[in-house]
Amino acid sequence: MVKRRIDPLLAVGLTFLILLILFAVFGPSLRAAQLRTDGKTIDAVLDPISHSHSKPGGNAPLGTDEIGRDIVSRLAAGARASLFVGLVVQSLSLLVGIAVGSLGALAPRWISVPLMRFTDGMFAFPDILLALLIIGVIGPGLFPVIVALSITAWPSVARLVQGQVASLKDREFVVAAKATGAPIGYLVIKHILPQLWGILLAVSMIDLAGTILAESTLSFLGIGVQAPTPSWGSMINTARGSMNSYPLELIWPCVTLSLTIFALNFVGDGLRALVDPKG
Amino acid sequence: MPNLRPVRLFRAISIRLLFGALSLLFISLVTFVAEAMQPGDIVTALAGEKASEEVKMRMRHEMGLDQPWPVRYVKYVSDAAHGDFGKSYQGTHQPVSEILAQTVPVTAGLAAMAILLASSVGIMLGTLSAVYANRAPDRAILSFSTLGVTLPNFVLAPILVLCFAVYKDWFAITWSVGGAFLDPYYLTLPVIVLAARPTALLTRLTRASMVETLQQEFIRTAVAKGVSQSGVIVKHALRNAILPVVTAIGTSFGVLLTGSFVVETAFVIPGLGQKTIFAITQGDTAVIQACILVTGAAFVGLNLIVDLILPLLDPRIRESQV
Repeated sequence: MVKRRIDPLLAVGLTFLILLILFAVFGPSLRAAQLRTDGKTIDAVLDPISHSHSKPGGNAPLGTDEIGRDIVSRLAAGARASLFVGLVVQSLSLLVGIAVGSLGALAPRWISVPLMRFTDGMFAFPDILLALLIIGVIGPGLFPVIVALSITAWPSVARLVQGQVASLKDREFVVAAKATGAPIGYLVIKHILPQLWGILLAVSMIDLAGTILAESTLSFLGIGVQAPTPSWGSMINTARGSMNSYPLELIWPCVTLSLTIFALNFVGDGLRALVDPKG
Repeated sequence: MPNLRPVRLFRAISIRLLFGALSLLFISLVTFVAEAMQPGDIVTALAGEKASEEVKMRMRHEMGLDQPWPVRYVKYVSDAAHGDFGKSYQGTHQPVSEILAQTVPVTAGLAAMAILLASSVGIMLGTLSAVYANRAPDRAILSFSTLGVTLPNFVLAPILVLCFAVYKDWFAITWSVGGAFLDPYYLTLPVIVLAARPTALLTRLTRASMVETLQQEFIRTAVAKGVSQSGVIVKHALRNAILPVVTAIGTSFGVLLTGSFVVETAFVIPGLGQKTIFAITQGDTAVIQACILVTGAAFVGLNLIVDLILPLLDPRIRESQV
């Protein structure tokens, strides 16, 4: 096997994502432990630790927000919200997308044709409208965001899987397995899907960037994750109000979010190049 | 042989129109179901908590809510087709059609300016990038467009405001309520933010399409015949490379839609996007429903127009359809 050079952007992106996950998981509790004073426990994300809009330094490395809460902890909690929404939505969309895509490629025509036409329709429909409608019905919040983004995310996966499965199903190894009498479900899970994990992983990373972007857009608009739970989008929206005097409070969430989106795209592109060197 | 072409062309157009109508039907059904699924009672919301059962019964009858849902759906669609979207649940119960009349022109105007900016700049930069493929200008344009695709517009908006409206007073921080619609002082930043992502997408697409076209035989022939460089690029290459770009202009209306919700919120512009978001926070279903329906219909309509224009631009598509 030829040893390939690792794409430097892929390495940078992966490192950033690993650090981000650690930051999201351990950040708030580590900060709480640091900030604990004379035995009193404090919620580093929700409790004020200093006067409002304090400058970076001292016990708040990035300063505090408009009601004196620690910005580092809130960024970590925002990462937690974004990653949570992203992972749940992507898992659901993979599950539904693989099921629909496989059916679209392997089921009899009276099932597959209407199913894929429906998928195409959902794919063409602007995601934001459907998401806004769903949130308009069930009201703003974390759960409605997950529902809305899951419903809009699966069609792209289904189309990808359908295309891939359709091109794999006539290959010799599948035909051979079929000839031995393997049932269709076994065929898909044991023989076809293992060929797709690489490309699905790569595409999921790029879709994950889209989901995180959509979550923060909705939170920025005030109809996503609701206060007092922080989200990068709502932090950006709040910080706009005082950006004349405290521009740094706007910069932190903007930079964190943008770097995350860049990192996910780097990782997605890098993985795709690894999986499919021709493409 | 009888000439079948007009018949077939008519059929192709009819199929497009049919798909457009089906999409509209889908959107109307989705918005209708959304209203039906709304928790809580519309009549109680409209008449107030203290209204008597009798009053509520009468209202329910007047609004047709005691009818079975297929009847209600047909009434909903025919009312919407006549421009009647009911009344807002909030405030003074303003008719939704009035709200639409106030907000749609603002959003449509912004979107038109953004799409004009995006397509002209996108096609120009993409062409430039393709002509200088893999050299310095190309790399610069590509990194610029990667930034444009990746950077969220709600990050771009406040950053631009901070740089050009707060630190330098070149542009306004928010929209003017007085309605100076064509004043660049108010208009520039919102239009730039709205156009950023479509511009970047169209740049990339034009570049890809142009690079491919410039390698074709007929370009080499044109150069060999002694056509000037600009003539080859504009008359021969761009005319052929532009078709996928035109399709993409149609689909980038979808990107623009998402953008208009953000841009109108960020710059406090009284358009359809801001109204939709406000209605969602207020739980004003009649307004949400109408806003989504109108925006969705506009999206379908614009894509239909692009689909119908495309065969006019390209005889090959005309042939393949006919």
